[in-house]
Amino acid sequence: MEKIAENKIIEDLMPQQFGKKGMIWVISLLVVCVFGFYAYCRQLYYGLEVTALRDYVSWGIYISNFVFFVAISLVGSLITAVLRLTNVHWSTPLTRIAEIIAVSAIAFASLIIIVDMGRPDRFYNLFIHGRLQSPIIWDVIVISTYLVISLLLLYFPLLPDLKIMIQYKERNGKWLQKLYVFLGSFWKDKPAQFKITTKAIHILSITIIPVAFAIHTVTSWLFATTYRPGWDSTNFGAYFISGAFLVGAGSVLIAMYIFRTQYKLEKYITSEHFNKMGKVVVLLALIYLYFNINEFLVPAFKMKKSEEEHLMGLFTGEFSYIFWFAISASMFLPILILVFKKGRTPKWAFVAGILVVVGSWFKRYLIVTPTLLHPFLPMHDVPKNYMHYFPSWEEWAIAGGSLAGALLVITFFARIFPIIPIHETITETDTHEKV
Amino acid sequence: MKKYNIIQLLIVAVLLMPSMLMAQDVDKNNLVLTLKYFNDNNKSHHLLVQAKSKIDGKFQQIADMPVRFYIGLEPMVENLLGKGVTNDKGEALLVIPPQAQAEWLKSPIQNFIVLSDGNAKFEEGRGDLTITKAKLKIDTVEGKIITASIIALIDTVWTPVASVDFVVGVKRLGGLLNVNETQTYTSDSTGMISAEYKRDSLPGDQKGNLVLVASVIDNELYGNLTTEIEVPWGSKSVYTTNFDHRTLFARRGHSPIWLEMLAYTIVLAVWSVIIYLVFQINKIKKLGIE
Repeated sequence: MEKIAENKIIEDLMPQQFGKKGMIWVISLLVVCVFGFYAYCRQLYYGLEVTALRDYVSWGIYISNFVFFVAISLVGSLITAVLRLTNVHWSTPLTRIAEIIAVSAIAFASLIIIVDMGRPDRFYNLFIHGRLQSPIIWDVIVISTYLVISLLLLYFPLLPDLKIMIQYKERNGKWLQKLYVFLGSFWKDKPAQFKITTKAIHILSITIIPVAFAIHTVTSWLFATTYRPGWDSTNFGAYFISGAFLVGAGSVLIAMYIFRTQYKLEKYITSEHFNKMGKVVVLLALIYLYFNINEFLVPAFKMKKSEEEHLMGLFTGEFSYIFWFAISASMFLPILILVFKKGRTPKWAFVAGILVVVGSWFKRYLIVTPTLLHPFLPMHDVPKNYMHYFPSWEEWAIAGGSLAGALLVITFFARIFPIIPIHETITETDTHEKV
Repeated sequence: MKKYNIIQLLIVAVLLMPSMLMAQDVDKNNLVLTLKYFNDNNKSHHLLVQAKSKIDGKFQQIADMPVRFYIGLEPMVENLLGKGVTNDKGEALLVIPPQAQAEWLKSPIQNFIVLSDGNAKFEEGRGDLTITKAKLKIDTVEGKIITASIIALIDTVWTPVASVDFVVGVKRLGGLLNVNETQTYTSDSTGMISAEYKRDSLPGDQKGNLVLVASVIDNELYGNLTTEIEVPWGSKSVYTTNFDHRTLFARRGHSPIWLEMLAYTIVLAVWSVIIYLVFQINKIKKLGIE
């Protein structure tokens, strides 16, 4: 490959400073985060009383958010591992986007659990008094494991890029240069180093798939191992995994569009990428739709008395607007948009991605909350506000802050590191030219 | 002028309305106190009062009602047995204290009185009870036959009493299980009844002991009398617990071995890979420095 072409790729893919739009974006996210932190400080001071969580709905939007973050993190294993192991090379520019989404999502999933605890100073009790039989302990183990594996999967492919970036000392500035040197000064492009890295990425790609499946299955078991209407389901593991794949792929569509337009990466994240990712999303939405049909149609056919109130609340009752919105936005509409070739253009794919992600967030809310409002025994002698749930402003602020925090992590990562792997792109372009 | 008077009357009526309504509010309900006597195993005696009132056409139990118990014909201070307050079921219980023994021994027939001063909602109430002192005995004969008898103090002599209804049963979880299909037994001229024990393999205590009970319930003359006897007619119960066993539902540290093995193996396997990869980073570093 010619040096000029190589330099052009490096020039295009090197991290860029925030422009005016970028600064507004970062400041907006910071404001949301600070507001969320203020709300959390209030929660710490006054206790969970500031939330709308009560005896019946003890899991509200914090846990919905947790399930959403866990779901979105699956994208790391989908794009990086599954597509890499199946030799799908078109996904190369998307691997790092997927991995950073996974890392930030799983980090904030861990944080939001602590927020939901109300008394974070008692977190250590989980380790001291935790029971191995409890899915909560499995979740703690598997989340931390998944975070470490995702970080490694982010780090190994970054090593060759770090060497490239270290060469642009003046452009980097003092602090970034120090960071790059600390992280990757030992990378010398030696064949032995490449060999180890390739092998490590391969091992990680294999390891992350069962771990990713475990994290989503265990999270689903937090619900499915309890005997409650809506949760008492053998379908839950597969239902969660299929939903997680879908929301993760939807989030990649959004990120692809934003990075492509804001960083002028049209040459690297092409229309063909949207076309292919669009097809992947259609497939995943159909799979998730299939599991939804299993999840709702079978109990609705039997309509057991204990399930009836819960199901009717979703289909025609209190939660019906959210339910049909979530089903339409996360599945029907994206399928309708992306199933046609004209819908798989960057703009329409971006719209479909937003529908998937927003619909999926509300879907997680519907998984968590309505069940808690329909216990087997009737709710007697409790204040009226125990019988309904609408999050307090503190809950909205904290949940919003966590979402903004996850976006900030991705934004800062894209500011510091190349969001598309430089070295891999050069190698693949070179191979392509030779072929 | 006439119109003026009508307006005046209306104003007076409106002004008086609240006080008229209030007057209705302060109408007190009658308080009915029902007193019962209990003799357990011919040893301890207690009184139970039930406070009720007819409200909206239904008898309702009255809670938190202070009551005083007396022995004798008059509620005098020296006859006061004790005080109590009715519970949520409208009941108050008083164990007859040893100090009442002198009064108790005076006569074969005993009077008890319960009084309540009432409160803002209820009138004062009074309940009276007269009982004839009686004793129950229970025994068994060969062939698992239970015998029970009642004797009453008539003048100064303990005399068998006929035509008294008995219940005979086995004590089970706070209730009585009939020993056979017969619900009640009536004493003969010797004051005795007999019942055949037909229950098989009832679980008893660790030694197989069961408690047989003979009772006279709500008798107009004698009150409530109960006596019991322990017999080895049950099957031996061996108490077993899974508390310290390793189960999925056990406490911390008592998870099943297979689960521990499985979980730790998986965790170790995955973390071994992670540790191996961290060492690989170190290896890459060394290669770079060389």
